[in-house]
Amino acid sequence: MEKKKYRSKKVSERISLVLIYAVLIIISLIWLIPFFMLIILSFRGEQVGMSADYLFPKQWSFDNYVKLFTQTKFLTWYGNTMLVSAVVTVFQTVIVLMTSYALSRLRFRMRKPLMNLMLILGMFPGFLSMTAVYFVLKEINLTQNLFGLILVFTASSAMQYYICKGFFDTIPKSLDEAARIDGASRHTIFVKIILPLAKPIIIYTVLTAFIAPWGEYMFSSFIMLGDPDKFTVAVGMKSWLDNSTLASEYFTVFCAAAVVVSIPITALFIWLQRYYVEGITGGSVKG
Amino acid sequence: MAEVSLKHIYKVYPNGTKAVNDFNMQIEDKEFIVFVGPSGCGKSTTLRMIAGLEDVSAGELKIGDLVVNDVEPKDRDIAMVFQNYALYPHMTVYENIAFGLRLRKLSKEEIHKRVVEAADILGITEYLGKKPKEMSGGQRQRVALGRAIVREPKVMLLDEPLSNLDAKLRTQMRAEISKLHSKLQTTFIYVTHDQVEAMTMGTRIVVMKDGFVQQIDTPKNLYNYPENKFVASFIGTPQMNFFEGTLCKTGEEVIIKFDYANVEIKVPYSMLYKAKPAYLDGKTKVYIGLRAEDISLASEEDNNKKAVIKAVVSHKEELGNETLVYGDINLNGGETESPTKIVLKDNSGKEIKTGDIIGVALNLERIRLFDKETERSVLPRVPEYNYLDCEVKNGKLCFLGAELGLPQAVKCPDGKYQALIPANAVTAGGSIKAKAVSCEDINGVKLLSLTLGGKRLYAVNADYDGGETVNVGLDFKKITLIADGKNIVEPMPENSTLSCKFVKRKAVKTEEINGKSKRVKTVNFGFEINGAFFAVSDAVSQKIFAALGMKKALAASLKLECRAEDFAVSENGIAAEAEEFLNFGGEKFIRCKAGADTVYVKTEKEYSGVVYLMPDFEKAGVVETERDIKII
Amino acid sequence: MVDLDYLKKSPFEKFRFNFIAFFKRLPSGFVAFFRAIPKKLYKLWLAFAGIFLNIGRAAKEGDWKTRTSFAVMGFGLLARKQYLRGILYLVFEALFVLYMVFFGWKYLVKLGSLGEIACVEEWDDAIGAFTYKFYDNSLLILLYSLLTVFIMAAFVYMWYQNVKGCFLSQQFVEAGISLPAAKDSLRSYANENYHKSLLSIPMLGLIVFTVLPIFFMVFIAFTNYDKAHMPPQELFHWVGADNFVTLLGGGISANSKVFAYTFGEVLLWTIVWAFFATFTNYILGMVVAILINKKGVKFKKLWRTVLVVTIAVPQFVSLMFMSQLLADQGLINNLLLSWGWIDKAVPFLTDGTVARVTIIIVNIWIGIPYSMLICTGILMNIPEDLYESARIDGAGPVRAYMKITLPYMLHVTTPYLITQFIGNLNNFNVIFLLTGGNPSSLDMQYAGKTDLLITWLYKLTVSESQYGIASVIGIFTFVIVAVLSLILYNRSKSVKNEEEFM
Repeated sequence: MEKKKYRSKKVSERISLVLIYAVLIIISLIWLIPFFMLIILSFRGEQVGMSADYLFPKQWSFDNYVKLFTQTKFLTWYGNTMLVSAVVTVFQTVIVLMTSYALSRLRFRMRKPLMNLMLILGMFPGFLSMTAVYFVLKEINLTQNLFGLILVFTASSAMQYYICKGFFDTIPKSLDEAARIDGASRHTIFVKIILPLAKPIIIYTVLTAFIAPWGEYMFSSFIMLGDPDKFTVAVGMKSWLDNSTLASEYFTVFCAAAVVVSIPITALFIWLQRYYVEGITGGSVKG
Repeated sequence: MAEVSLKHIYKVYPNGTKAVNDFNMQIEDKEFIVFVGPSGCGKSTTLRMIAGLEDVSAGELKIGDLVVNDVEPKDRDIAMVFQNYALYPHMTVYENIAFGLRLRKLSKEEIHKRVVEAADILGITEYLGKKPKEMSGGQRQRVALGRAIVREPKVMLLDEPLSNLDAKLRTQMRAEISKLHSKLQTTFIYVTHDQVEAMTMGTRIVVMKDGFVQQIDTPKNLYNYPENKFVASFIGTPQMNFFEGTLCKTGEEVIIKFDYANVEIKVPYSMLYKAKPAYLDGKTKVYIGLRAEDISLASEEDNNKKAVIKAVVSHKEELGNETLVYGDINLNGGETESPTKIVLKDNSGKEIKTGDIIGVALNLERIRLFDKETERSVLPRVPEYNYLDCEVKNGKLCFLGAELGLPQAVKCPDGKYQALIPANAVTAGGSIKAKAVSCEDINGVKLLSLTLGGKRLYAVNADYDGGETVNVGLDFKKITLIADGKNIVEPMPENSTLSCKFVKRKAVKTEEINGKSKRVKTVNFGFEINGAFFAVSDAVSQKIFAALGMKKALAASLKLECRAEDFAVSENGIAAEAEEFLNFGGEKFIRCKAGADTVYVKTEKEYSGVVYLMPDFEKAGVVETERDIKII
Repeated sequence: MVDLDYLKKSPFEKFRFNFIAFFKRLPSGFVAFFRAIPKKLYKLWLAFAGIFLNIGRAAKEGDWKTRTSFAVMGFGLLARKQYLRGILYLVFEALFVLYMVFFGWKYLVKLGSLGEIACVEEWDDAIGAFTYKFYDNSLLILLYSLLTVFIMAAFVYMWYQNVKGCFLSQQFVEAGISLPAAKDSLRSYANENYHKSLLSIPMLGLIVFTVLPIFFMVFIAFTNYDKAHMPPQELFHWVGADNFVTLLGGGISANSKVFAYTFGEVLLWTIVWAFFATFTNYILGMVVAILINKKGVKFKKLWRTVLVVTIAVPQFVSLMFMSQLLADQGLINNLLLSWGWIDKAVPFLTDGTVARVTIIIVNIWIGIPYSMLICTGILMNIPEDLYESARIDGAGPVRAYMKITLPYMLHVTTPYLITQFIGNLNNFNVIFLLTGGNPSSLDMQYAGKTDLLITWLYKLTVSESQYGIASVIGIFTFVIVAVLSLILYNRSKSVKNEEEFM
């Protein structure tokens, strides 16, 4: 009888590990190289636009950063975005938490219809409602106004209850019941029991709410149309690249601006990564 | 410290399923009550209704003197321990225990004192600063107990608190909870699916199945006197043996015949006095139940005293101090489930091998018999009826050698009958002299056993002064006479029902206010019976509103349940046609027809034609027809 | 009963069996669906009838206090010393009357015509020039009429609540049940009625900034609002279903055919895009997650952080940067040319087909970190013993993935997948910032080869002011998204069993 050959378990495991490391290193490079390019380009001193056929600058300099802060409205835009983000974060987080708690924990007659309604509302292309929103805002003098933008961002926050409700659903119901017997009202349960346990999802909500205004273009450009002093960074930086003559002049400045915008958010993300992951998995696993 | 009373408690879900059916129980102060039953039997639902976490669909739930149907959990003065502990993960043990006290705005010193005291009782003082995550299951359960006892509640509710613990810890915690109960001296209500927990901890146990209460009794009585097959099988390990068979009475002996196996044993008839004669005809199928501990390997002397039968051993389980032997009394028996399987406990230490044919001795005194259809015990502890042969001759009822004159109300031709005399129809102070055999108190019911003409006669709650002979009579309105399988004389129903609605009526009253007479509009609530309106007191209407809610109370169709003595014949009332006057000797009644309903009314006089009946609404019961739920 | 015949079938046979069974069940399913309609309608009718019955009963059985509340809201409550609620009703009624008289009514009467005169040119002697005097603005008429209708609906609801509340308080008093004190009813808003406290503000925002605009958009679809009819200079009018006909190719104008063609093209690409964007991200994200989570792989946290960092960089930054890099004259083409790897620039974003592929690949680059994160969490929840038993049964890694990992993941993440799919159907940022919908195409009306419905809409409204047509496209988009997602939702069990999951 022929003896069947077995590859040693150890050897095969080692081979697969090596392969995995190779793949992971390649993936990491693919994901990081564009950002390295961004950083490197932001230090390019010479004005060659984007049609240069080399990556590393011939002349390293901080000129782009200097120009960014002295000759453009970038600082104003940055301030605008920061203000909008901060206010939106506060309101949106509060609204999402309230809605999610009500839908997850309280039982009332219209609960299911309300959830279905919000699901359906989410399917409308949000942009189309812009015209109507624009005129509503115009009537209360909030167009070309940061508070108008804040209002638009926060007003429909309730529709983002989904992940947060999923997270709340994973908190055992018996905690609520125990607290009720201990003498807590629904409000006390929300504030003293559920919220302290919802730290990951609160941080997740805060992070997503905070980042949204930085990356949002559609609504911001529409509401702030024609007033560069009220632009957010996304609208402003896009305006540099919109026509090709400006684009070649501002390309490296754009890179510098991108670096400036990314650094604080990235830092925040790395700092709060653990909670972000917990929140998103906790919420979407239940779904 | 308080009693808990549950009256006609129902839990009905919106889709119509009844999770709990007509739960009635009076829990005394300081009792340790255990609800036990398989999953889905409604035990947890009942507990959660007591806690206020589920709404009571119908019925009256009282804690202490307060009806708590609509009271928030926090105001019921209860505490609850959950299966998964439900400790607040973000708080330390100290904060967990103190949480309820803080919400009740106790002073800091008081809270501290109580928390430390509770921690001390439960031996968790050293963990007070820890978070629940850092603790083991047993420790967490102690914290959950601490959180409950620190509030000094009237009633402690425990919902399967030990089922998440391992076996050893469970035994230990079991003892600790029992100790805690005797230390705290409060009422405990404990839910479990584990009959061992129930038996070891409860002062009384409620066995439930499919939403119905099967039996409420002390552990000992549950074990010894199960009221039905389910209770018998649920309590005790290994499970009670059940064989199918028939009973046949020959002379003063009864032959118990086992189906599917050629086995017959004889027992004296005295064991089966309480059984309905119909079971002894050799045809009616019954379950024969016998616990493993009441069966032993037959020894030499057993052959004379006990019934010995043969069984073939299929396998055995060695437990060290004793051996569980599994076998089959059908010697050709197969492997599958069959009503001839037998399990017995042996501690004689004999060597037994699979396939051996052994003699097993049955302890006949411990045999329990259950009806095959209804699964109810054939031998209830308190027999409901006396089954006798009798004869009617010249207006006299002759039975067991005694004679009683038939009252006017009982009409039947001369002849031989079987009589069904409820045990509570045998009253004291009659003309028959009977010999008293024994008088026992069974869960508050006084059962008096008599002999008359050499036969047994049972009386329930009859006055008995302890003498050797007793004078007894019969309450004729409760007896049934049967001839050829037909009821010739039927008992008078205890309750008359009247269909009715609960309605609102406006009335205009003239009142004297400050010397001027004023017309005042008032609104009355009451029952509409056959088109007539009867106002009821606020107490009654509040009860109905509480049970059904405003809207439903005024729309639902109801039934009024009234005893005959709660009617009065008066000038105004429900119009009814008097059909017959019934004289039972001592008591006199009239049978009336009110609309479609037949009503029995206690009177002194004879009436005919139309009478007006006034029910006493304070004493009447009310049933909601649609869901068939008793609301008062 | 266990169907043993079914169980012994091979997976392929099972699929065939289910497939046939599905079509066999279809007719009866349809019948059941249509059978259910009368029942539903009857239920709806019962609900409505219940409302009128309640009002009727209140009118018939109510005392004078209750009846007065039909006209003066809250009166019955005030008369029974329920001051807080009574005053709130009264104030609401007063505000409503003021709103209608001074604002709402003006617009509502013009809803039928959407205005008569838009603006008049007048010679102004004072400044010596023509001035424009504006009168009716169709847009505002439509918008404020809608708002007024919403407010009227709210009023009717409140009025009904008022009648019911007053009647109920009367019944309570009659039944001898004491009415709740103001303190208790306020307190109930932290307890039984807590959902009202929590949801009122979010819902108000939702109604004003989402529901109202959606209704507005639906109505715009039935008007000729476009460049030639721009308020305030011009009026626009109701045109019935003309826009729908145009978009479906049945219109008289030459545009109609082109519109219909464009719509078909854009719709097809939108669905293809959403499908690929969702599933490539999902599958690849899962693979990356599995690689990172593999036993024995070190620096798990490092690998994850590398990817998470890319989420943190604002999407518009990475997208715009990518669009610059991938342009025909962009750095990547230049580098490749100078290294001599290619002869002429690769049209990453300028050739229709290549651009579509590029977009999907860039989207993978953007999206994988996110889906990797979600999959990581769920993967860690799969019980290890499942894999152990599979290994003992002789399953290799691929088999274990197909039989355990994938089914488990699909089961748990269906809701996530559906939301992703819907999100991708409406994914504005990736397309707009990367290609802007380009390359443009001559056979298409205002749309490029990579335009999704949403970006096409953006162009139609922002640069072309074709509001009427845009609204129709919006409605179609909604219908398509809604139908697709409802089918998907109904097929996923995990959505239904909300309570069971706990």
